[in-house]
Amino acid sequence: MKLTHIAAIVVLALGMTASAARAHHSFSAEFDVNKPIKLQGTVKRVQWINPHTWIWIDVKKPDGTVEEWGIEAGTPNTLFRLGLTRDALPVGTEIVVSGYEARDGAKRANGRDMTFTDGRKLLMGSSVGNDAQSK
Amino acid sequence: MRPAAFATFFVVLALAAVHGQTSRTAPAVKAGTTGEKAGATGATKTPWGDPDLQGTWSNQTITPLERPAEFKDKPVLTEAEAAAYEKRLVEAGNVDNRTPGTVQDVNLAYNQVWWDRGNKIVADRRTSLVVDPPDGRIPPLTPAAQKRREEDRKASDNEKFAASWLDFDVYSRCIIRSALPRLSTGYNNNYEIVQSPGYVAIMQEQMHETRIIPLGNQPHLTSAVRQWLGDSRGRWEGNTLVVETTNFTDEARGSTFQYATKNMRLVERFTRTSDRTIDYEFTVSDPETWTRPWTVKMPWNRIDGLLYEYACHEGNVGLEHMLSGARAADAKTK
Repeated sequence: MKLTHIAAIVVLALGMTASAARAHHSFSAEFDVNKPIKLQGTVKRVQWINPHTWIWIDVKKPDGTVEEWGIEAGTPNTLFRLGLTRDALPVGTEIVVSGYEARDGAKRANGRDMTFTDGRKLLMGSSVGNDAQSK
Repeated sequence: MRPAAFATFFVVLALAAVHGQTSRTAPAVKAGTTGEKAGATGATKTPWGDPDLQGTWSNQTITPLERPAEFKDKPVLTEAEAAAYEKRLVEAGNVDNRTPGTVQDVNLAYNQVWWDRGNKIVADRRTSLVVDPPDGRIPPLTPAAQKRREEDRKASDNEKFAASWLDFDVYSRCIIRSALPRLSTGYNNNYEIVQSPGYVAIMQEQMHETRIIPLGNQPHLTSAVRQWLGDSRGRWEGNTLVVETTNFTDEARGSTFQYATKNMRLVERFTRTSDRTIDYEFTVSDPETWTRPWTVKMPWNRIDGLLYEYACHEGNVGLEHMLSGARAADAKTK
């Protein structure tokens, strides 16, 4: 199935839920849809803050210098309920981030996809459900 | 507010209530710790005799608000149909939905690790949360409301050109999540109810608001006083808490419910039906917005955990980043 078909199904399904889901604020007003970016770096610190968590990584450039990038991720309450605590991502862990660069040119990106270097998914795993109602 | 602070707040609230009603002296208590045990209806009583709604609850559900066209003549699904529909919705919401290079990809391409919508439709297998009108659809908007909807959509699209924080809605500005009544949304669909004599309070996880609902026949505030969550007054009808809310405000974008005016009237009904369930129902009416009142019924299910702090202002750097993005765009056009 083509991605566009999957996207259409998802938009249709989510459009029918009780309230159009959205993140706390518009990511497309913060990040530039025309600037996709892929970063590989080591975790320097994690800010477990509302309304969105931030993961800061050191990215080594080809010339050997290091840049610090901030990655915006999900809301901490949801991640915590899924079992992801502040200890889930120790300092020094190497991760790969695929997202979009900030519109103002700062070294920030949204954490659209985050994986460990062996390909395992970090925050954007594909099959973690929530069973609050089934307990 | 942290749980401890919330509890302290209610000690103060309970004392205030005792001051006003000296015959009632019981402090706020947690459901199930004291009072009459659940009967066949699931109804319990507080030590001072009110129906007990206390506890932590979630209103998350993947049942759509309005009945989808595919179920036009089917208000309730069979068990088999419900299982298949539920599976379809969960799968659709839990894929890495990538369409690279689109606004949708930046905003909404996330799966269930990001979202917390739940994975269940309502237990009675209805195909819509709307129960009245009988077709399960929100009544038509008046022409004035249609205009408000268009203006809101334009304002939302223009956020990337915002000149001020005032150009953002109440959610982005960390004022309130949305106007009452609350529907199931993307995440943080959790509530804590605490009661004391003469009062019911509902803390909403997102975003850190507490509704304080006086019980009895106290009049509403004067219509000149407008509040983000309106002005609520409650009363008991048997085991059902009936709450009427008026005095909403339209001071900021998103501060009214679904394009309604600040004159909308909301009536909510909370009925404890089991140890783990509250039947929640609301009716909204606003002749300036809808051609008739409409009613939603949805469960609040108990959660086995705490509400967590959603201190939205704590790190709301997104607002700053959106504005600096808009200024960067301005600079490019000069």
